[in-house]
Amino acid sequence: MNLELQKGSRSKILAAIVLGTMAIFVIRLFYLQIIQHDYYVGLAHDTQVKRLTIPSKRGLIYALDGQTPVPLVMNQDVYTVFADPLIVNEDDKIIDTVKRIAGGNARENLQELLDKKNSRYQILATRVTRLQANKIKAEDLSGIGFQEVSERVYPEGSLAAQTLGYLNFEGIANYGVESKLDKRLTGVDGLLQSVTDVSDVPLTIGNDNINRPAVNGENIVLSIDRNVQFHVEQALDDGLKRTGATRGSAIMVDPQSGKILAMANLPTYSPSKFYEVKDAAAFNNGVVSAPYEPGSDVKTLTMATGIDKGVVTANSTYDNKDYIQVDDRIISNATLGQTGTITFQHALNWSLNTGFVTVAQRLGDGKSITRGARDIMYDYFYNKFHLGQLTGVEVAGEIKGTVISPATEEGNAVRYSNMAFGQGLDVTMVQVAAAFNSIVNGGKYYIPTVLAGVVDKDGKYIPDKPSTPTTSISKSAADQVREMTHVARNTFFSSVDKAGYYIGGKTGTSQVIINGNYSTDETVGTYLGYGGTENVSKYVIMVQVSGDHKTLQGARDALPIFTDISNWMLDYIKLQPKG
Amino acid sequence: MYYQRTQNFSSRRQQNWSRNQNTVAFVSAIKLGPVTHTVLVALMITVLGLIYLTQATRATSYDYETQKIDSQIAELNTQKSDLQIENARLTALQTVKNSSVASTMVAPTSTNYVAQ
Repeated sequence: MNLELQKGSRSKILAAIVLGTMAIFVIRLFYLQIIQHDYYVGLAHDTQVKRLTIPSKRGLIYALDGQTPVPLVMNQDVYTVFADPLIVNEDDKIIDTVKRIAGGNARENLQELLDKKNSRYQILATRVTRLQANKIKAEDLSGIGFQEVSERVYPEGSLAAQTLGYLNFEGIANYGVESKLDKRLTGVDGLLQSVTDVSDVPLTIGNDNINRPAVNGENIVLSIDRNVQFHVEQALDDGLKRTGATRGSAIMVDPQSGKILAMANLPTYSPSKFYEVKDAAAFNNGVVSAPYEPGSDVKTLTMATGIDKGVVTANSTYDNKDYIQVDDRIISNATLGQTGTITFQHALNWSLNTGFVTVAQRLGDGKSITRGARDIMYDYFYNKFHLGQLTGVEVAGEIKGTVISPATEEGNAVRYSNMAFGQGLDVTMVQVAAAFNSIVNGGKYYIPTVLAGVVDKDGKYIPDKPSTPTTSISKSAADQVREMTHVARNTFFSSVDKAGYYIGGKTGTSQVIINGNYSTDETVGTYLGYGGTENVSKYVIMVQVSGDHKTLQGARDALPIFTDISNWMLDYIKLQPKG
Repeated sequence: MYYQRTQNFSSRRQQNWSRNQNTVAFVSAIKLGPVTHTVLVALMITVLGLIYLTQATRATSYDYETQKIDSQIAELNTQKSDLQIENARLTALQTVKNSSVASTMVAPTSTNYVAQ
């Protein structure tokens, strides 16, 4: 029996069709699996493997309460509630729920937003807390979604606002420590790459899984003592109300370390409501970013220079005529009548300009402010007291100001005669406070800092190592100037201080330059002082008050604020009085 | 009583007298055909596949467990963070100053110091 298929039989045709079909399958599979291999592997990878960013947390900012860190800036997860108007079908219930639970964080025109059917995303409420969000979720409203965002919260409200700065809506740091230390505060996001199931649950299967944890930003502890800061702000506020000044700034420094204990500016703002600020000047930290002519406060530095160079002492004398000629200019005293042969202590007590121009002259040939005298003054002011240069304090927006070099044409004798009593140079409060600090502590210049340490991930406070000071003047010269300022304060204001303490300081009243000329109706009042015992000073405080078209004085307007803070501080640090 | 031989032994001594070689060869009485072989191999592959699937599923079940625990940790961390913020707000100076306890406090009229 012949089993061979006959040529052209149906079976042969069927076999050919089957073989042809098989060939098509094989070719197609070859194309998909071999030629298109990489494409389909990539497609599968994209579908199955998810790359999830693990967000890092921005570092917290702490102040100190004594030696204990307390949070000033924290992070909180809040939610934005949004609706898809195309899906929502219970408008009344949604509006009632969102208004009832989100309260003031809900938008005003909810019905209007839900009516926008051509939109798929309408924000109904912002900054809703987790608890509120959970309550809204429990209502099981269709078409309502939640977006989690992290925002900064400020438990102490507006305390130290300009020192802290803020994060704007895009999360960008503005002003203060937030901006200056942005890199340290910002963490590094982690990455989770894994095969996931349909619910996006990461699975361990797969060869390309990555699990890189997020690294949070550093938790920074400021040297600001929240109790001191609170009282300084309160005293400044009281002082502004009392004097009619519209702007005020104050700084307190620990003389033995250069650490800033308080730094306050008024008017102020609440960092959590930065968007409500109408005048951007409220963001500025005047202590570091508003150079001004410091006026008579600088007489302490001129005196320190003269004593350190050995050309004067507190009891050296000069002939005060209430005016003194420098080149073609005549410089007068603001207070007249203390004429005749007087000591430099007397000149400091009465803040006589002629006395300090005389010190500058004695740094030269005794008759004029020679180039040599100017070089010495510049060396002390710029190199040793660090005026006119950035201190490096860890707050954004610091401005260095100007101290004219004697090597320039502008750095002539007239300029330096003015500089001797605080005019003709632009400096910031933090520069002056740091320079004066080096006199109060015996000649050690500490770079002013707002940093005290960090809080590690276990919540342990790790203080920074103490910084090493440079020498500004000799201890002997520093002690003499400290004593002079103590005498100057006690000559007129001894009754205002708590008894048994060693308090000193110097008033300053500076004219304001407007359009290149000294204004006749506007002055800035300052007071620069210290407090503690005879052996050791515990704090240096500088206060400044000012206002448009206001003539404010150091003794009348700024000194009482210093006194308020100083007397409170003596109680706060529990310093025992003498006697 | 008698013994029936159930296995056949054939000496290989005659076939190969080389050293260190078995001189006795075992030959099973049961003969497996090609179909049986195929079925057995298929069964073995199936069993191995099942074992693999069981292990893979077990690993995945651990992933769900891990995910659940991770979620709990995240939830607890969030609650902890919220409580820390609330604590900070309640102990803030302005809050303390405005508290009913603070409002009843008075400044000391005098302070005595222990002699140093």
